Amino acid sequence: MTSQGNHKRLSDLHPGEGATVVEVQAKGPVRRRLLEMGFIRGAHLKIEKLAPLGDPMELVIKGYHLSLRREEGDCIIVTQEQ
Amino acid sequence: MVTIALAGNPNCGKTSIFNALTGAHHHVGNWPGVTVERLSGVSEMGSLEVEVVDLPGTYSLAAQSEDERIASRFLADPTVDVIVNVLDASNLERNFYLTTQLLELHRPIVYALNMTDDAERKGIKIDLEALSALLGGPVIPTVGNRQDGNQQLKDTIARVISGGEPSIRPVSVNYGEDIERELVKLAKEIGRDERLASEQPPRWLALQLLEAAPEAEALVEQSHARSAIQAQLHASLGFLENHLGADGGTLLAERRYGFSHGLVKEAIEQTGDGQRTFTDKLDSLLTHRWLGIPIFIATMIGVYALTFVLGKYPQDWIAAGFAHQHDWATAHVPPGELASLLVDGIIPGVGAVVVFVPVIMLLMGCIAFLEDTGYMARAAFIMDRLMHLMGLHGKSFIPLIMGTGCNVPAVQATRTIESRTDRFITILVCPLVSCSARLQVYILIAGTFFPPVQAALAIMALHFLGFGLAMVMGKVLRLTLFRGENAPFVMELPPYRLPVLKSTVIHMWEKGRVFLSRAGTVILAGATLVWFLSHYPGIANRQWTAERQQMEQTIRAKQLPVLQEADQLAALQLAHQSRVMNSSLAAHFGKLLQPALAPILDPDNNRPEAWKDGVALTAGFVAKEIVVGTMAVVHQASAEKAEAGATLSPLQDTLKRRSGMTPLTALAFLVFILIYTPCLGTVGMILKETRSWAWTAFSIGYGLGLGWILAFATVHIGRLLGYT
Repeated sequence: MTSQGNHKRLSDLHPGEGATVVEVQAKGPVRRRLLEMGFIRGAHLKIEKLAPLGDPMELVIKGYHLSLRREEGDCIIVTQEQ
Repeated sequence: MVTIALAGNPNCGKTSIFNALTGAHHHVGNWPGVTVERLSGVSEMGSLEVEVVDLPGTYSLAAQSEDERIASRFLADPTVDVIVNVLDASNLERNFYLTTQLLELHRPIVYALNMTDDAERKGIKIDLEALSALLGGPVIPTVGNRQDGNQQLKDTIARVISGGEPSIRPVSVNYGEDIERELVKLAKEIGRDERLASEQPPRWLALQLLEAAPEAEALVEQSHARSAIQAQLHASLGFLENHLGADGGTLLAERRYGFSHGLVKEAIEQTGDGQRTFTDKLDSLLTHRWLGIPIFIATMIGVYALTFVLGKYPQDWIAAGFAHQHDWATAHVPPGELASLLVDGIIPGVGAVVVFVPVIMLLMGCIAFLEDTGYMARAAFIMDRLMHLMGLHGKSFIPLIMGTGCNVPAVQATRTIESRTDRFITILVCPLVSCSARLQVYILIAGTFFPPVQAALAIMALHFLGFGLAMVMGKVLRLTLFRGENAPFVMELPPYRLPVLKSTVIHMWEKGRVFLSRAGTVILAGATLVWFLSHYPGIANRQWTAERQQMEQTIRAKQLPVLQEADQLAALQLAHQSRVMNSSLAAHFGKLLQPALAPILDPDNNRPEAWKDGVALTAGFVAKEIVVGTMAVVHQASAEKAEAGATLSPLQDTLKRRSGMTPLTALAFLVFILIYTPCLGTVGMILKETRSWAWTAFSIGYGLGLGWILAFATVHIGRLLGYT
């Protein structure tokens, strides 16, 4: 696993950037839903774009497109890929 | 009868497979105790009659949402003989996640590999035989919107039912040594309670417990082996946490995706990766930073026009049809109670129900079209920021906007919102949006008491007030009654697809039918009740009826010119109606209501006729535009302009000169009209959609309370500002 310093919140990534999931920090139903949707350790994702009003964001994970609000993106820790 | 259940992710084309299996003969019901629709149909497979049940589309069986609970409960039911797992061939890795859970149920599974055309276009090659061997069930490629593979699917299901399908064999996900060992231990403890073990496979229950699924925990809570199971669960979770460094939910999700990834690797070959798909290209336009919103607004205008402008034609035909019947009955049924029940009660009552059908079918058709193409998710994506600010969901926007046309289909349009909380809040705030029926009342009152420019401004302000209140109430409801029920906004943006026209038409037809049978009865009952209240006891007064007939004969005997005679007869009719109405139960009710309405409509206690507003408001419960007609009757003045050049109709003139209403109380009256209660049609729809008398009563109650408070505020703030 990469060093602590590379860790970022998913919501801090910009369109076009790719990342690997490190940890889902949400609890309860939100956590379970995120896991089911593919946010497991090591999963790759890529930010596609932000909605016209700046939130939510669209990303690609496990080969499909998903949208997430900033709130949910805040509790997903990732390492950015170069 | 043999029962098969269709399970699959949202957007996997399950409904088109369902339509292909069952034809157009569906039974639309509700799942017990919840608001989710239950679709089932009968399919002939060979010599067998099979009941096909379409489960709500879910990503998992974790039983978190209403949809998932329904799916997981139904699948655990022993009456399910075969599961058909519909898979989106272009998105298999995530679709297999649900499959890993279905496999634990130990039922024969047939895999319908849907959207194979999409997959081909994306360069995905699938080895069907390998997949079938790995999944332990037949895999049939289908294309939802064409007939491809449907017959083969039917034949295969029939073969599975008769036990003659060779590929069926039990398969389960291997969760790895550590987890498997704990699963065995847990299953053993569960096995101590035979009843519990017979309800669900013990291993499946053990898996759900490791994931902390509330539904499974509740089941264990009722078991006599409760303490042993809970002790083992505690020990297992502690062990896994220590050895594998994560909680049960994470570990299971990782293993399931591991299994799914393995399947994809073994049986699927991805070629031509990296090229932009049709969806990507379309999305670069439809959710574009600058173009996204204008395109969305244009789409909304299109839907609105199609629903309410095009829908106006069939609505007018229906209204004309009922008016014709009304005239026929007036002419042919001898005047009296029966005639009034028919002419003023039942015919307009049924008309009030049927008139909604065109707009409901059109709006539901548009929404189904937007859903099926995949644009609905983009609409929610675009509007979510704004809607979230007011405590709502991106998908709440369309119902609110359509509410400006008519609240009835708008409430039904909330069906597209998956989360129960978001849906209920939207249903409850929707009636605050000012609909076109209320506009008729605004025009009457504002046109009477304000000069033209101010009247237009007042009407516009009322529309903004309605929207503003919907926003505020959305937030308030979210923070109070629905606190803590926040559903995560994790929404798939499915690929764009061409909708199946046949499915859309079936869907529209079903929506219209279900509305007539469920909401229609409530509306008709309410309309008849209001008719009764506003006509008794006067309508049964033989003497009044006789007097009226006598005067009619007198008028006819005068042999006046046709137009003049018609005028006099109309005036006589209005006088009679007015006499009946003003002595009716509703009038008594209006007078009883007077003390409650006085602070807003008669603040100076100098309006002897203020009770008439109460009567109009009571009648307006059926439909807001009825306020106009009722005011005409109670004030005995026609709402239609006498001559083309007149600025005010006789009713407006009467209101201005005799009702005692001032511009300020008129404004308070308008504010109250906007909010006081959803109309009967909307109430019927709210009851149908929430399936709860309590929430329906709440929607009426809070409207009355809020309307009163704001009307009161209007009067008093207006006074402070020096208006009268």
